[in-house]
Amino acid sequence: MDDKQVDPPADPFTGLPGASARTIGGAWQPPGSFGSAGRGPRLFGGGGRRATAISTASTLVVLAALAAAFLLAPGSAVVRHTFFDPRDMWQSFIGNPKKGYYSVGEALWLNIRMFLTAEVLILAFALLIALIRQSVSPVLFPFRVLALIYVDFFRGVPLLLVILAIGFGIPALRLPFVSVQSAAIYGVAALVLSYSAYVSEVYRAGLNSVHQSQVAAARSLGLSQSTALRYVILPQAVRNIIPPLLNDFISLQKDTALVSVLGAIEANEAAQIYSSTVFNYSSYAVAAVLFLILTIPLARFTDHLIDRDRRRRLAGATA
Amino acid sequence: MRRILPVIAAVATTALLAACGSSAAGGGSASGSASPSASASTASCSNAAIQKNLYQHGALTVATDTPAYSPWFSGNNPADGKGYESAVAYAIAHQLGFTNSQVHWTREPFNNSYAPGPKKFDFDINEISYSPQRATAVTFSNSYYDVDQALVALKNTPIVTHHTPADLKGYVFGDQVGTTSLAFINSSIQPTSRPKIFQTLNDAKEALQTHQIAALVADTPTAQFISSAQIKGSVLVGQFPSSGEHYGLVFSQGNPLVTCVNKAIATLKSNGTLTKLQQKYLKIYVSVPALQP
Repeated sequence: MDDKQVDPPADPFTGLPGASARTIGGAWQPPGSFGSAGRGPRLFGGGGRRATAISTASTLVVLAALAAAFLLAPGSAVVRHTFFDPRDMWQSFIGNPKKGYYSVGEALWLNIRMFLTAEVLILAFALLIALIRQSVSPVLFPFRVLALIYVDFFRGVPLLLVILAIGFGIPALRLPFVSVQSAAIYGVAALVLSYSAYVSEVYRAGLNSVHQSQVAAARSLGLSQSTALRYVILPQAVRNIIPPLLNDFISLQKDTALVSVLGAIEANEAAQIYSSTVFNYSSYAVAAVLFLILTIPLARFTDHLIDRDRRRRLAGATA
Repeated sequence: MRRILPVIAAVATTALLAACGSSAAGGGSASGSASPSASASTASCSNAAIQKNLYQHGALTVATDTPAYSPWFSGNNPADGKGYESAVAYAIAHQLGFTNSQVHWTREPFNNSYAPGPKKFDFDINEISYSPQRATAVTFSNSYYDVDQALVALKNTPIVTHHTPADLKGYVFGDQVGTTSLAFINSSIQPTSRPKIFQTLNDAKEALQTHQIAALVADTPTAQFISSAQIKGSVLVGQFPSSGEHYGLVFSQGNPLVTCVNKAIATLKSNGTLTKLQQKYLKIYVSVPALQP
């Protein structure tokens, strides 16, 4: 945290408001005092006034350069009209079925429902797979083999193919009930199959991260294998894997868009219908913003959990 | 926009259309130096004069999606000159003074065809319907085919026998994304359940075969081809009365080449070539029962 390390970048831009603030800040901020608050790299905070000023100036310069590149490019007007036309964005957001397109905003509700349903099922199903794979009983050997094949298969096959196979394959079987569900149901089934394979591996990593002595201690207290698993192993395992789990779920939120291949009108499909109907891509920008509104809170929540967990561990270590 | 004079002249003089096509190579050398105001309409559409507007010098680059479907193309091979759109593309090329070997085909997925920026083709021929909104993003040629919408369903399903306007509202329809059929379904049929929209025609056909949709909406030739050759046990229920929809070639916005192509299309219309090609490739598609939406 030497002063020299953070000083130079703002110098060429002394005309910027942030740059003068840096000088003022630098004058009465003792060198070396900033940066001591945080342990690791943090997005905000841990800086002090001078660092704040530098980061503000740097951010402004980068944003200005990006904006200038975008606005001054020869095709800028065309791109702005094609991708970010406010009128088209609004039209695609509210939709007009009679003109051949649906509301992207309303269609997002289908993504949310698919995501929430899939998430609950994945958490349960993946845990089951992970526990089978971690089991040691000789009786369960065939299930361990099946679970291994399952994980290998569904981690290896592209999700899109799974969606197509289920969405078109199961209805083709002409079974009662099973073959007459909606495209969204088949989409959720495919998402659950594919994501459970990944998430079961996350669970397994979590289970492996709990030290063997914990099992030994629990068993020596007289807890049965299953009780030890339920009250000793799983709580610790799950706590370790919450960040990677949430990471997978952020990915899952976006992958609900793939269900569009089955004809379900979710946000991405609605955007594509608008775009191909009026030959303007602004609807995709609307879908992108809506997906961001969904995923960013979850991403920040993940960060929050990681920070909280680290604080607790450190508190535990020093206590 | 850059070439206002030739455009005006071209539109005004229909008498010169035939001359433009017949001796394109000969007229080309003479017109290369001709000023736009002198003999604009004949001059501007000679093979030499349009070279500067071409994507690739000395060749007419024509785009379509893959797979290219019958009866618009034949065997997913646009370059064989068979199928209605392939034949039309070559007929236009001949009008503009190109030989068969000077026609280059390129693949352009429908969803990319209207992307902004320079295009990698002179025109795209891919059953793309004209609409005023679309025409703000790309330039369309005049119609080379007037479209009617038709219904394909599986034999022995209710919609084959029960399709009064009131009945039709109760079915689930399927459609390919990007076709104007969706607007037609929603504004004319007005079904109670939302239609399913598929990324490709193949997916839509799959959905019909697996009973996920009661009927597939497509233009009549495509619908006829699906029912007669592609989906076993499917039947063309009927076609709806024309809504004035038509297919146009897609050019990059403001491409001046469209003027000469429109003249070529007008020539092909007036000398009966388009009708002949429609009879040759789309003939079986004319005797289809009528439906009321």
